[in-house]
Amino acid sequence: MSTTEPGPETTAAAPKKGRIKIPRQPMPEQDPRRRRYNFEEVPRGYSEETAKLEAARCLQCKKPGCVAGCPVNIQIPAFIDQIAKGNFVEALLKLKEQTALPAVCGRVCPQETQCEERCILAKKGESVAIGRLERFAADYARKHSGVPEPARAPATGKRVAIVGTGPAGITVAGELARWGHEVEMFEALHLAGGVLMYGIPQFRLPKEIVQFEVNSLKRLGVKIHTDYVIGKSETVDQLMELGFNAVFIATGAGLPMFLGIPNENAIGVFSANEFLTRANLMRAIDFPRFATSPIRPRRAVTVGGGNVAMDSARTALRLGAESTIVYRRSKAEMPARAEEVHHAEEEGVIFHLLTNPVRIVTDAANRVRGVECLRMELGEPDSSGRRRPVPVEGSEFVVEADTVIIAIGNRPNPLVPQSSPEIETSKRGTIIADPASMMTSKPGVFAGGDIVSGAATVISAMGQGKIAARAMHHYLMGTDPEA
Amino acid sequence: MGSFSLIIDGQTVEVEEGATVLQAARRAGISIPTICDHKDLNPYGACRMCVVEIEGVRGYPTSCTTPAAAGMRVTTQSERLSTLRNRTLELMFSGHPNSCLVCVHREACEQHRPTATKAARSTRCGFCANREECDLRAMALSAGQPELSLPTMYAAYNLERDDPFMDRDYNLCVLCGRCWRICEKIHGKPAISIINRGKWARIGTAFNKSHVFSGCTFCGACIDICPTGTLTDRFARWQGKPEAETGSACILCPQGCAVVAQSKNQRLLAYTMPAFNRDASLCALGRFGAAQMVNSNQRTTRPQVREGEDLIPYDWDAALKAAATGLKEHAGKIAFVISATSSREERYLYAQLATALKGQMHLVPAHALPGDPTLTTIQEAIHGQGALALLMNGPLLGGVEQSRMAFSLVIDALHSDSSEQASVVLPAAMLSENSGTFRSSTGEIRQLSACSQAPGDARAEWRILRDLGQTLGLDGFSYTKVEDITRAMDNAVGEDAAPPAMTGDPRHNVRELITTYRGHQVADIVPALAAFGLPQRSMIQEESTAGSDNGFPILEKKEIVPNMHFFKIQAPQVAKFALPGQFVILMARETSERSPFTLVDWDADTGTISLVIEEVGRSSRELASLRAGDMLAHVSGPLGQAMPVEKRGTVLLGGGCYGVGAIYPLARALKQAGNRVICGIEASSSYLLYMQDELTQVSDQLILATKDGSEGVRGGVQEILVQTAEREQVDQFIAIGCTFMMRMTTELSRGLNIPTLVALNPIMVDGTGMCGACRVSIGGDTLFACIDGPLFDGHAVDWDELASRRSAYAPQEIQALSQGVDLSALMHQAHGPTDTHQCGCGR
Repeated sequence: MSTTEPGPETTAAAPKKGRIKIPRQPMPEQDPRRRRYNFEEVPRGYSEETAKLEAARCLQCKKPGCVAGCPVNIQIPAFIDQIAKGNFVEALLKLKEQTALPAVCGRVCPQETQCEERCILAKKGESVAIGRLERFAADYARKHSGVPEPARAPATGKRVAIVGTGPAGITVAGELARWGHEVEMFEALHLAGGVLMYGIPQFRLPKEIVQFEVNSLKRLGVKIHTDYVIGKSETVDQLMELGFNAVFIATGAGLPMFLGIPNENAIGVFSANEFLTRANLMRAIDFPRFATSPIRPRRAVTVGGGNVAMDSARTALRLGAESTIVYRRSKAEMPARAEEVHHAEEEGVIFHLLTNPVRIVTDAANRVRGVECLRMELGEPDSSGRRRPVPVEGSEFVVEADTVIIAIGNRPNPLVPQSSPEIETSKRGTIIADPASMMTSKPGVFAGGDIVSGAATVISAMGQGKIAARAMHHYLMGTDPEA
Repeated sequence: MGSFSLIIDGQTVEVEEGATVLQAARRAGISIPTICDHKDLNPYGACRMCVVEIEGVRGYPTSCTTPAAAGMRVTTQSERLSTLRNRTLELMFSGHPNSCLVCVHREACEQHRPTATKAARSTRCGFCANREECDLRAMALSAGQPELSLPTMYAAYNLERDDPFMDRDYNLCVLCGRCWRICEKIHGKPAISIINRGKWARIGTAFNKSHVFSGCTFCGACIDICPTGTLTDRFARWQGKPEAETGSACILCPQGCAVVAQSKNQRLLAYTMPAFNRDASLCALGRFGAAQMVNSNQRTTRPQVREGEDLIPYDWDAALKAAATGLKEHAGKIAFVISATSSREERYLYAQLATALKGQMHLVPAHALPGDPTLTTIQEAIHGQGALALLMNGPLLGGVEQSRMAFSLVIDALHSDSSEQASVVLPAAMLSENSGTFRSSTGEIRQLSACSQAPGDARAEWRILRDLGQTLGLDGFSYTKVEDITRAMDNAVGEDAAPPAMTGDPRHNVRELITTYRGHQVADIVPALAAFGLPQRSMIQEESTAGSDNGFPILEKKEIVPNMHFFKIQAPQVAKFALPGQFVILMARETSERSPFTLVDWDADTGTISLVIEEVGRSSRELASLRAGDMLAHVSGPLGQAMPVEKRGTVLLGGGCYGVGAIYPLARALKQAGNRVICGIEASSSYLLYMQDELTQVSDQLILATKDGSEGVRGGVQEILVQTAEREQVDQFIAIGCTFMMRMTTELSRGLNIPTLVALNPIMVDGTGMCGACRVSIGGDTLFACIDGPLFDGHAVDWDELASRRSAYAPQEIQALSQGVDLSALMHQAHGPTDTHQCGCGR
């Protein structure tokens, strides 16, 4: 799908008739031999010409499947049409009607299972590269200053508190601010952006872009309080007492899970959250200019098969390691995006599939020396529908390592649920919310993102944010969502 | 000169005329303890450790200053002399922090903390970078546990770090005078001498100027000769004792000074002088800059070859092939531009390559800056030759020149714009990583011996050139080791030329330091050199990502006792919700770490919080450098679980280090809840105790303990716990302080059956449960100190695990410390001397 070769040379927009013959435009990418040593972004983005050419491929369906496939219902044919006409700023404004984070979504959404999967062109050939076009429009606008923010509705006088500044919180903030509500966001860390700042690496999502999107919220009038730990300072109840008419809880799945195997607290075993937070949010990759100590692995083993595992393994590689992924199922069962797995392979990440860690091997100083693993084979399908991995007796072997990164998922962060016992939670610790409105058991309090769904994707958090924002708007205005 | 004999301890000793009694004794293998004596210094007689008895001589003369005479009968060991020497040692230690030496827990503590804590000022051996190498400590411990009955008179001088390379802690100085004497010996007019009188006598510069302006040449001799931890090389300070000392030469400039390279774990710590005399002295760049350059993060570590816009990392074979192809293609049109600070072997191989490829060889003088006539001449010659390809071992030509070339090969150790532009980049070893020979500008040949390992895939330059020659298929490149090339040169007709001499005398004037090394501005690699006025690339301003509305003003800040800083900060959000036992996370700047600190006090009405921060690393140093009126970038909190406040009966709170402050809010809450509250606080010595008044107000009894017995109970919280439990029923014990104290007291309280809470202090990042860095094992369960703690049942803690996890980043912390000094204060100093003794200790 992706290639490093430049796309075919074209300058003029293709005629309507010939558009069916235009091939899907490849994304120029940084050479894997080079990028495995740096933190620069992997895909380099379309040029204006390539973007217009790709946009020309869109058939402008009357009943677009892509829009239905988008969790935030972006008017995809409309924004693509603007790109095809060379109206790049208009394309962005079209995007901004539905998403507060186009530059982010264009990079990290799994388009291949959402909008692009439903593209009519995908039935016979390759879909329109919707994600790449979204990214192009957002980047174009960012690089060319003076892009107007979408218009704001007249002030409603209603106040909304949003706890957490990750993708769900940002989405709700963007929507409600545009609709005229007074929005304040509360972030426990020192920079807004949540998982976009601490979790997703620079080479997939440059932090400058996240901050640009956060700043565009500020331009919309959203107030952002960093270093503000709701749950340890005000509780949700106290926020309501402070005069907020509604609260949206989007505190994410920030409580890392560990394997529960022997020696897991040895020096050199990290949660993916810690490993990535040091590198991304704390910018340990710029040590010693930034003071947080980086992890300098020589041999890193990442346990897990999701996007976070790919991010961790690829970050470890860039920090100088021989980087291995240990995953207990086979490649087909990996929850990570195919593109991420492909990028990791291209860069030289080693995959030990059907392999399950059973013990961390340590030395006398409690430092990691390796991971003892068991080979697995696939048995009958389990509750997830994936074939269950079964250990092969006596197949123990040790993968040498000085760093082990556990990327097997997160549980919901407990700070807010613990301090607001009146809000109903599930056994897993997630907040229970009505899927139609994202309202919790407490009237006026809504929740969305990973704190509701457990660990999921940026775009699904944004999708819930969209639902919540609509419901909150009606709640605030006392209107009927059905009307 | 005649010789004669004398009798020392019954032994007849034959010595040359002019020898001192001390020298005579040493010749006979009799050891007499000394501090101020040094083989390279004239006798001084300051420390009086070397006293002896001489028949017919009144009193106890110092053997170092007494000339030996024929027939003299000398006694070096007697009860009287032992007493005298012990008294001398005691007096010396009254001005040198010594609590560790007399502490009953010393051995257990040193086992628990095998390396010293990276404190700012050294208030005890456990806080001293020189612990492993201290002459004083060795002498005190040579006869077992010393008895030091005189109290420590801590002078409370500021830690001086107002120059680019040295940390000076005159609180450790015993006035042996080695430093100023060696300075005088080497430089004639010493930059330092004894200033002030009596009790306040100390070593200093004239008018207390920074060493940058004192005439100091930064030869480092004073550091190398200091018997205590008073004078230290900031970069090497916490690296511990060097493992190897290798004779070599520094080739940062064509003077090629002989050096002794100190290294550890294949890493260069410092170039030092090979002897303590004027001829052997080094310049600031060689003495302090070399190690920082070799260990710089700007090193080139892998071969790269251009493909289109990008330089792509290649393996060596492929990269050499690409280099060879490029050179072959332009044979006859290649300009070789080589630095004068290349070794003889390197220059020889470059010349051979140039001959074989019909290229033109150009030697760039070490001091040549852009615009230098030599460079202009070279550029003209290159134009004249119609060169199409360029081979450089550094960014020696302007970028315009390079961009005109069809092909350019850069062989270099450091990253530069030239390597960024190059067709092929080959990473080279540098300085202490290389062996070979160097011809200095005065024509002498110096031996170079490698003592450290090149980073990544970098290789010795001679090896790169040999391999390049072989890849090109040239004859005469079959050397297997660098000595083969040296030999080939010796056999060659004619001598290799000396490199052009540099202007200026950097060894004797820091204003004349060379500003470039192979085309790199040295101050870009060692930023602190800017303090000497060396040119530097302007730092690219970071785009500030956080709004300026995020700032937390510091209302009050003082160093209450050495290394312990009291802060009052405006943080209304924290103040409003804080509970006893909770903590906050601070970031001094946007680039700082997130560091947790226990809340000591808060006031919701005024919106202020108080903290006590101990200066023991980069982050706390950064915080300690702030002043009232400054802003902290971030204060996040309150965080952690509060202590359950209930009526337990009698509660003993034990505090040490920062814990003395941290127990304050707990004591207050427990007292309000109706408990009998006893606070027990420990410090190394009486002058380090603090917050006694505040603690007295919130407790029924305050018990003090010092390790040296200078105040209160002799010992620590351990002793307070045991003695209190003997006196009365203790229903709850709470310990906050260093891991060692908490662990030791927990073991005792287990035996005494007292429920125990401890505040754990593992490494944290976010403090909100998100990263799990702070996980601790409590009763077999893994818990997060940030959200489940910080207070835990002490009897359930896995202390070994905690101790090991706390040390996980020791090497990075040392690296960060050497580079984290803000020299902006220094620039103000140019306008006048600073006031001393503003430590704020209040004593």
